[in-house]
Amino acid sequence: MKPLNKICIGLLSIILIFPYFEAFSQAAEKGDLNVAVSYFITNNKVPYLQVKVNTKVKGKFINVGDIPVKLFLDKDSTGTFIGNVTTNEKGEASAYIPTSVKAEWATSIKHTFLATFDGNKKYGPAKGDLTVARAKILIDAGSDKTVTASVFELKDTTWTPVKGVEVILAVRRMDSDLPINETPTFTTDSTGKASGDFKRDSIPGDSKGNITLVAKIVDNDQYGNLLIEKTMPWGAKFVPVNNFNERSLFATRNKAPVWILIIAYSIAISVWSVLIMLVFNLLRIRKLGREV
Amino acid sequence: MENSTIKEKIVKDMLPTDAAAIREEKIIQDLLPQRFGKWGYIWVGILVAICLVGMFAYYRQLRYGLAVTSMRDYASWGIYISNFVFFVAISLVGSLITAVFRLAGVHWSTPLTRIAEVIAVAAIIFASIIIIVDMGSPERFYFLVIYGRVQSPIIWDVIVITTYFFISILLLYYPLLPDIKILLRYKENAGKRLYKFYGFIGSFWKGTHKQYLLSKKAINVLCITIIPVAFSIHTVTSWLFATTYRPGWDSTNFGAYFIAGAFLVGAGAVVVAMYVFRKADHLEKYITEDHFEKMGRILVLLALLYLYFNVNEFLTPYFKMKESERAYLNGLFTGDFAPVFWFAILVGMIFPIIILLFKKGRKPLPVFIVGIMVVVGAWFKRYLIVTPTLLHPFLPMHDVPANYHHYFPSWEEWAITMGSLAGVCLVITVLTRIFPIIPIQETLNEQHETAK
Amino acid sequence: MNQENNSRRDFLLTGLMAAGIGVAAGCTTKSPFEDAAGSEVKASGKKVKLLSVDGEVIEVDEAFLKPVPHMPPVTKSEERIGIPGKKFVMVIDLSRCKNLKKCQAACNHAHDLNPGENWIKVDPMQAGPHTAPYWEPTTCMHCDEPPCVKVCPVDATFKREDGIVLIDSDRCIGCRFCMAACPYSTRVFNWGEPELSPEVAAQPYSSETSIPQKKGTVGKCDFCADMTRMGMLPHCVSACPNGVFAYGDLNEDSVTNGTETFRFSDLIKDKAGYRLLEDLGTKPSVYYLPPVSRNFPFESGLENDKTQNS
Repeated sequence: MKPLNKICIGLLSIILIFPYFEAFSQAAEKGDLNVAVSYFITNNKVPYLQVKVNTKVKGKFINVGDIPVKLFLDKDSTGTFIGNVTTNEKGEASAYIPTSVKAEWATSIKHTFLATFDGNKKYGPAKGDLTVARAKILIDAGSDKTVTASVFELKDTTWTPVKGVEVILAVRRMDSDLPINETPTFTTDSTGKASGDFKRDSIPGDSKGNITLVAKIVDNDQYGNLLIEKTMPWGAKFVPVNNFNERSLFATRNKAPVWILIIAYSIAISVWSVLIMLVFNLLRIRKLGREV
Repeated sequence: MENSTIKEKIVKDMLPTDAAAIREEKIIQDLLPQRFGKWGYIWVGILVAICLVGMFAYYRQLRYGLAVTSMRDYASWGIYISNFVFFVAISLVGSLITAVFRLAGVHWSTPLTRIAEVIAVAAIIFASIIIIVDMGSPERFYFLVIYGRVQSPIIWDVIVITTYFFISILLLYYPLLPDIKILLRYKENAGKRLYKFYGFIGSFWKGTHKQYLLSKKAINVLCITIIPVAFSIHTVTSWLFATTYRPGWDSTNFGAYFIAGAFLVGAGAVVVAMYVFRKADHLEKYITEDHFEKMGRILVLLALLYLYFNVNEFLTPYFKMKESERAYLNGLFTGDFAPVFWFAILVGMIFPIIILLFKKGRKPLPVFIVGIMVVVGAWFKRYLIVTPTLLHPFLPMHDVPANYHHYFPSWEEWAITMGSLAGVCLVITVLTRIFPIIPIQETLNEQHETAK
Repeated sequence: MNQENNSRRDFLLTGLMAAGIGVAAGCTTKSPFEDAAGSEVKASGKKVKLLSVDGEVIEVDEAFLKPVPHMPPVTKSEERIGIPGKKFVMVIDLSRCKNLKKCQAACNHAHDLNPGENWIKVDPMQAGPHTAPYWEPTTCMHCDEPPCVKVCPVDATFKREDGIVLIDSDRCIGCRFCMAACPYSTRVFNWGEPELSPEVAAQPYSSETSIPQKKGTVGKCDFCADMTRMGMLPHCVSACPNGVFAYGDLNEDSVTNGTETFRFSDLIKDKAGYRLLEDLGTKPSVYYLPPVSRNFPFESGLENDKTQNS
């Protein structure tokens, strides 16, 4: 996953991670964990958090699984508790924002997410946090095949355009998103807009030629990860054809070519019918012998 | 003692035809299967010992996997497969001597038919055994039946070898029936258990005219059927190689090339067996010098034919020297495989041709030696067909342990291969202990005809 | 509010996503495969209340929250069909390969290969005496007309609808005909009992993961069919620091090496991509870009080559 890698590398380099010196001094043999939080929002709807935990062994970062992490909104208290998560073998875990923090969410346009790990036998306690401002991204596809992304930030109660944000404009594909033209990223102007020409003509879409355009902000220091999609009929109509069910020499046994079946069976049947006849012949000889 | 009194009795009872009867009785006495003597037991003992070593080696292979062999990812087939091809080749002789000669109305070959049939049955049994030995997961052998995929040449081979085995058994059995009637007459010669066995498999044969007609028809049908099937077993076996892209295997010549080679090695095996049985069972009167003379001529013809196919197989690629085949061809002609290659060509073809072209070379002993040369040369020829190709792939052999670049069979492979060769000899020995090595009834019939 | 209750509910929620966040990170609420085919994920009918970015409580169907959580174990017959509507391809850029062998290491680790066994081989190539030497990583070519599949007597190796050629080690009888038939020499054999770590040995066998390997059966590169099913890139692709490997779907006309995404047809056209041994008619799914304009010497890879080829 491309975004994942980027997020991972990006977050590590940003270093939101502060080693817990107290714990370190108390139990020197315990490992240090890095806890990183990132923030995602898709189509300006439901935000979620991702926690990534790793440790440094001999100069290399290794993901740590099975680490319970508590998530809080802004401050460590009952009313701002987001949830408990446990990392998987890739050192990752994620959580949506529960309705229980609705009151706290309403207090500010900027929030800090706290991730704490209390420590266990192997690792000392660790903490991570992330502060993001509320932003939204919009996508617009013009009739002249230009794609425009608009980025807004919430200031007081109004959405104001943001200048200088790097935006990726792309076509959604299986493992990654294909940029709409050769430019890897676009930067928003003073109206908060960034646009690019769609140059992926006749790229295969679905059976109706629909493709999904995406505009996304990746790993932004202030806003986190924002993404918005729009489906447009700009692709080529594509219905996959494959010869999987055709009879061929490389198909499975129940899809053998007809000619090979005819030849094989006709030879086998003719030869074996002769042999069976000869066995019956033997039985006849036997019967004749018994009669004598 | 008893025999002699019986003979005297017959002489007294059958005065008008007594001379003919005595001659007949003599023939039967000569051709009845004989009990093992001292050397017979030693021979069987040696064979059993080799088989047991082979079985122990196979036990190790089952336990530790094919890792006990020297085969690795590049040389993924080794002497098991070349041995398999060798056995399939030898088994082809049953159809040559029996069917081809019978249909062509050649009579001098009668004393050789059963030798050929017995060799064919023994070889085809061990061809199927050795192919199971080569499998990485032999416990899944039955998958070939329940999941068999008709597109695969291996399935063709399974079908055609099963068929050939069955035909060979029938072709051995039908001509045996009249002989079993004779064997049953000599109860004291057979011993209790064998007598019971003869009775079980052939007591119904009374030699009536109706039975004779049915049997004759069946043998004719068998002779016609076995020829295409025999061609198929070896052609399909050659296709195991020729259906791949590899240099040295990617040849349209392969089916005919294999069959020519099979006829040669089969005929070689027959002359070796002829000589051995002639000496061991004192059959000089039945397997005469004339038989060796004639088989010698056939051998020359077959060796020339096989040489012709070899020239076809190697000269044209050598002339072109395609890059993908260069290393392979050089390896054979002047490289690692050159000693074996020239041994197989010279000892397996050229020398036999030269020896057999001389009248003196077609005496029993030289023919016997030539037969051995042909068989040994043929075995190495099969090795050359399998291994050098695998060690010359299209992409370089790289990022593999150093021993993957070469192939020399491990002791387990040698033991199993030798065990299977001993097994073939053992099956032939046992069959000739049970059944007359020369068809008795047919010899008698021919005696009658010549007498008239 | 009671934190205990909350945390329990939240645990359920977050648990749903723990495994599949890889795709969620790609910022989609759809399964990657249904997404590409243009159809929506089917709603499960179970609603979950969540907080929206505007601070409102909204109800979201549970199905949309499960990007690719614990995918139901794939059945044998599904493994044999593959992922409908896909045609996987790989592009190997020879101009970037300096034989770092990271791909090989990642592949060997992921598939728990035995020492000396490699599914990816990086060959030093030189077509003729005066031509340039270069490093050529080879995987299974996943041919569209695979010679290995043609010759398999028991359907143990098979071609899938999505173009991947896999091996079912529960079926393989170990005849090794496929190894003889493969002109790319890509197949390896488990000659002895494979040395498996306990965790790997405990896993149920799947022909998509190709582990645990079995004695007396054939193995080879599987295009990481299990990763692909989860919408992730094969291990060799993500392991290569130089972006030599690009992987994607021909039907989407797009391949990616993890950081860059290319339109497949443009890439092949612009850089004159080709396939290995095209004249044999095997129709491989792996394309190569010629080793042009390399900014490193061929010799830089020699040191690494010695580890296995001394």
